[in-house]
Amino acid sequence: METRPLGDTGHDSTVATFGAIALNWLEQEGANQLVEHVLDYGVNHFDVAPEYGDAELKLGPKLRQHREEIFLGCKTQERTYEGAWRKLDRSLNRLGVDTIDLYQVHGLEYEEELDAITDDDGALAAFREAKEEGLIDHVGLTSHGDPGLILDALDRIDDLESVMFPLNPVVAGKDDDEYDYEAVLARADERNVGTLGIKAFAGGTWPPTDELPEADRPFANWYRPVTAPDEISERFDFAAAQGLTSVVSAGDPKLVTMILEAAADYDGMDEAAQRSLIERVRHDDSPVPEQLHH
Amino acid sequence: MDVPRTVATALADRPVAGKRCLEAGAGAGNATAGLLANGAARVYAVTNDRDHARTTRRRVGDEGNRSSDGDGNDEGGDDHADRLAVLEADLRAVPLPDDAVDVITAHGLCNVLDPASLSAVAEELSRVAAPGAHLVVDDYDPVPDGAAIGELFAVENAASELSRGRPALTFYPAAFLRRFFAGHGWEFERERTLLEPVPWTESHVAAHADQAVDAAKEGPGETGDALAAAARRLESEIGSESVGRMYGLAFRLPD
Repeated sequence: METRPLGDTGHDSTVATFGAIALNWLEQEGANQLVEHVLDYGVNHFDVAPEYGDAELKLGPKLRQHREEIFLGCKTQERTYEGAWRKLDRSLNRLGVDTIDLYQVHGLEYEEELDAITDDDGALAAFREAKEEGLIDHVGLTSHGDPGLILDALDRIDDLESVMFPLNPVVAGKDDDEYDYEAVLARADERNVGTLGIKAFAGGTWPPTDELPEADRPFANWYRPVTAPDEISERFDFAAAQGLTSVVSAGDPKLVTMILEAAADYDGMDEAAQRSLIERVRHDDSPVPEQLHH
Repeated sequence: MDVPRTVATALADRPVAGKRCLEAGAGAGNATAGLLANGAARVYAVTNDRDHARTTRRRVGDEGNRSSDGDGNDEGGDDHADRLAVLEADLRAVPLPDDAVDVITAHGLCNVLDPASLSAVAEELSRVAAPGAHLVVDDYDPVPDGAAIGELFAVENAASELSRGRPALTFYPAAFLRRFFAGHGWEFERERTLLEPVPWTESHVAAHADQAVDAAKEGPGETGDALAAAARRLESEIGSESVGRMYGLAFRLPD
C-alpha cells in the first residue's frame, strides 16, 4: 500500500489509516481478527480514542503483539492540563503500551477551546511534558468543526504535527467558508503538517430518529455511509487524490475490507473524474429541479 | 449558490474580473454564478425560458442578501443583484448592441440548439462580442454507443422531431464546435475535459424524461403516447448513469 510522509514526523503513513472505533462493535476474537486483517493489507497507521467504547481495550492485545508495525494515534477531549494528563495515563493503561506515537486534541469545536488548550494550564502543556517524558512522540489535532478554527489552530500551535478533518466530494462541492476544508489542507501542506481525512465515506445524514430509530440504522457510523464497493472505492480515490497524507477508514467494521481493497488498488484519480464525482453528489443533493446539464 | 466545478474549471484561466459578460442560455444560472463570483463587472444572463430566467434571478440574484465574511473568495458577494441583468430573449436576436460584451459563456448551450439555430446563435454572439472578447463553450461529446442514457435522448429527440420538427438535443463533438466557431472568426485557445465520465444523475434523467413527455404530448396521439410511455420506462430503468465526456473550449476574437 502506498505510503506518504506524515508532515515532519519522520513517519510515512499508509494512504489508509485504520479507524479503530470499528473494533468497538466486535467481540475480542473478532477484533483480533480484524487487526490481523488490516495489517495483512500493510496498513501501518491506527487511530483510536477513549471515547470509542471499548476500542482501546480491544485493540490492546494485537497492538502489543505488533507494536513495532503500528504507528498509533490516540486522542483526548480534555482541554485542561490535568484532564489531558489523566486521559493520557488512562489510554496508555487501557491500550497496555508505553508510548503513543501521535497524541491528538480530539474534536476541537469552539474558539474558546483553542484558547483553553493553548493556555499555560491547557491540554497542550500536558502534551509537551508527556513528549519530554517520552510517553508520546508527536502532537496532533482533530476537528470536524469550522475550517476557520482549524486554520487558527495551525497558526497558533507551533509544534502541531498533524491535523485530522473531513474531506469528501460533498463538502468539496460547497463554496461557503464553513465547508472550506481544502483551505485547511493547503495551509497544513504549507506548514508541512500531516493531514488525515475523515468522513471520506459519508453519504449524508441519517433520517430523523422518528423516521428511522437509532437502533434500526444498518451501520454504526455517525453519518449514513456509502456502502457499495464502487462508491467506496471512488470516495477513497477522491480523498486520497486531494493530497491528504492518509484517509481514515469508516467506523463500521462491515465497510473496512472494501476500504482496504480501495486503498490497496489506489493509483490516483484524474481531475475530470474528481469533478464528475463532485457534480454527481451536488445533483443528488440539489434543491433545484429540472437541471438538464452540469 | 455554489459555483459548479465544471464552471469554475472552465472559467479558471479566463479574465473575467471587471469585464462585461454574457451567459448565453442561462439555464439554472450556473455560469452566471461563476462569472459573478470571479468579479464580472456586469453579467447579462440571456434565456428564452421564463422559468430559467426566474430560477437564475432567484438562485444568483438573491445571493447578495447573504452575508459574506469578506475573505475575498466571493468578490462583491453582496452586490450580485446590482451586477446581474436577466434578459428574457431569443439568442438569435440578443437585445444588446454590437461589441457590448468582453466574455461570453455557452455552458451546456449548444446541445439544445439544432444546426440551423446554432448557426444563427453563433452569428449573434459574434456580433455582440467586442474585439478581443473571450468565448467559453462547454458541452458534451456524443454519448458513446451502448449507453442507456442514449436511448432516453433518442426518445426525447423523436418526440421533439415529431411535435416540433427539430431535435431536442444535438451533441456536437469538441472538434466540430472548435472548427465551427473558428469559421465565425473566433481563434481557438484551448480545450480541457470538464467531466469524464459525465454523471447523469437521477435528477438529470428525470428532467430529460419530463422534457420527452412534454414534447410527446404535443405530438400525434398514439405515437406521442408510446414515446411518453417509453420515456417513463427508460427513466425508471436507467436510474442514473455515468458515461461520456463534457469538454470546455475557449476562443478569442482578434483585437
